[in-house]
Amino acid sequence: MADYILEVNDLKTRYVTRFRENVYAVDGVSFKLKEGETLGIAGESGCGKSTLAMSLMGYYFPPLHYTSGSIIIDGREITGEDPEVLRRTALGTEIAYIPQAAMNALNPTRKIIKYINDVLVAHNIRLNKKELREMAEERLRLVNLPVEVLDRYPVELSGGMKQRTVIAISSLLSPKILIADEPSSALDVSSQKLVIKMLLDLIDKGLVKSMIFITHELPLLYNVTKKIAVMYAGQFVELGPAHESVFEPLHPYAKGLMGSIIVPSEGIRDEHLVAIPGTPPNLKAPPQHCRFAARCKFRQPLCDSVVVPERFASDGRLFRCLLPEAVLRELKYEDQIKSKQEDAEVELDVNIIPFAGDNGDGDSGKESGG
Amino acid sequence: MKGYTRYFRNRILWYLLTFVVALVLNFVLPRLMPGNPVASIAAGVTESLTDQKAAAEMLEEYTRAFGLDKSLPEQFLVFIGNLFKGDLGVSFRRYPTPVVQILKESVPWTIALQLPAILTGWMLGNLLGAIAAYRRGVFDRAIFPAFLFVGAFPSFGLAIILLFVFGIMLRVLPTSGGYGFDLIPGFNLQFIASAVRHYQLPFWSIVLNTIGGQAIGMRSMSIYELNADYVKYSRFLGIRDRRIVGYVFRNAMLPQVTGLALSLGTMVGGALVAETIFSYPGIGSTILSSIKAQDYPMISGATLFITVGVLLANLVIEILYGFIDPRIKANQQE
Repeated sequence: MADYILEVNDLKTRYVTRFRENVYAVDGVSFKLKEGETLGIAGESGCGKSTLAMSLMGYYFPPLHYTSGSIIIDGREITGEDPEVLRRTALGTEIAYIPQAAMNALNPTRKIIKYINDVLVAHNIRLNKKELREMAEERLRLVNLPVEVLDRYPVELSGGMKQRTVIAISSLLSPKILIADEPSSALDVSSQKLVIKMLLDLIDKGLVKSMIFITHELPLLYNVTKKIAVMYAGQFVELGPAHESVFEPLHPYAKGLMGSIIVPSEGIRDEHLVAIPGTPPNLKAPPQHCRFAARCKFRQPLCDSVVVPERFASDGRLFRCLLPEAVLRELKYEDQIKSKQEDAEVELDVNIIPFAGDNGDGDSGKESGG
Repeated sequence: MKGYTRYFRNRILWYLLTFVVALVLNFVLPRLMPGNPVASIAAGVTESLTDQKAAAEMLEEYTRAFGLDKSLPEQFLVFIGNLFKGDLGVSFRRYPTPVVQILKESVPWTIALQLPAILTGWMLGNLLGAIAAYRRGVFDRAIFPAFLFVGAFPSFGLAIILLFVFGIMLRVLPTSGGYGFDLIPGFNLQFIASAVRHYQLPFWSIVLNTIGGQAIGMRSMSIYELNADYVKYSRFLGIRDRRIVGYVFRNAMLPQVTGLALSLGTMVGGALVAETIFSYPGIGSTILSSIKAQDYPMISGATLFITVGVLLANLVIEILYGFIDPRIKANQQE
């Protein structure tokens, strides 16, 4: 039994477009999850959340390609394994995936029970008809679906039923880690709650050991996950305990993101919702200095010229910003760093890493992109 | 299931209506052609007669025998009445052979040529389209466009090219007829071998013409399906690629079934062209010579047969479709 159920070290993956350009959608993500822990990943559209979800599967097919880094599930490093071995012994059993578009995730011309059988056969599990039906019925009951669903085609199911069917199928082989990519975004609020609860139940029942939620519904995240990561331009800019990440974010982007949503409870007061102006950088050639600098309210001259490493706050939270932790803790997104004098006083307490071409991917990206 | 039956009752009613309209047109249209077919038949008999009056009487006699002295609506009623008895009348051109007899001789040739050719072309086309979408490379860049090119030829053009290359230049295949002219149809090796050799050119001209059109539809459907969400999900569930490809092609095939129904409808035109160019016995050749001779009963009988064939083929495919694609069935039940 390893210390961590999931360990991701500096994972980098990229898309290769039709014109052979590289899009660095996941660019150096690291985190660790213990058994029973859940991680929520938030960020605006196009920041690489869904790509990260797919990249964590360790099974890459075009246009997504693996670049570097490692994924270790319960002590087993799945990166670099033979895809066929991975397919048979890891996909669905070690790590499983609930897709963003659960509505269209099922083959429309295959009955649910046959599809379930296909999944089992793919992992060399051969059951006779009776065993198969018993097993499938048990799994459907877990997600509150009537057993008749087994003999239906996906088109004959409602959206919510399809969603639950997908959850049942994804967790069929009791994967250690379940990644849910926006599992609830197509549902109404009460169904969302239900789906999330259902997923958490899977952990309680011991079918799944750990879970990763990807969503932009932050209010859902902080209620249900232990940790929250905020992703920006292919990197984590903040990673910490859920409550702190939502209510006391450190990174300026996280501050803006949390300010742009209404999180119920803890006094909504008459806070104004904020919007972060600008758009995320082009991931074909991401900036080598701070990726958020161009949109950052608190930007300092140095921000445009040094590489920002992952930094850890006194309480162990990860943040990727040059400003000192103490300054960040005090800053609110509405604040301004006012005068020039004050500006100068903000000391950037990192060892300045000169802006150099040590980010090899960025370089090659520029070459092939041009 | 109740909605499903109702759906089919509706479909069948529509097909019956179509049939009635086609029946009227099949009867009326040939008879609107200018000219008098009886005159030419009678001319053969009255040639030797010098007595003008006797010749005129003879002509009248024939006209009455063929029922052409009555008005068109009356003729139609007689035609319908006979139809119920399975009698399509007597051919003018091959008087006194009944139309049904001539159909019995020619229809097997047409079906034996067209049905396998269209099915083969359809299957090869789908296979090519699927491979072009999945394997890409040379299939997508060379073989697929080549068949598209060939398929865009007018069918008579392609038939003539094949005839010229294999029949005249290379002299490997016979150029006309359904079997050697010196043979009597029968169940013997010599006749079958000859029939098979005569079969090749008309058969392949139809197959080659069908492949491209079917492949293009299958290719784009397959590409669409390959990018569907369920493909990605199935992959992440660890399902084997081979099985996923099976899903994809099954789903991509479904619209192609409609393509098959449409092809069966073009069998008529195909029959005319291929049979005429290769002087192949069959319903196409029969229709052509009947039109030339203004053989009303024969034209009506042959077109009636084709109408029924096409309608039946379409109905069968439509019913089958409901069973092979659950989505259709779900919609029909609403």
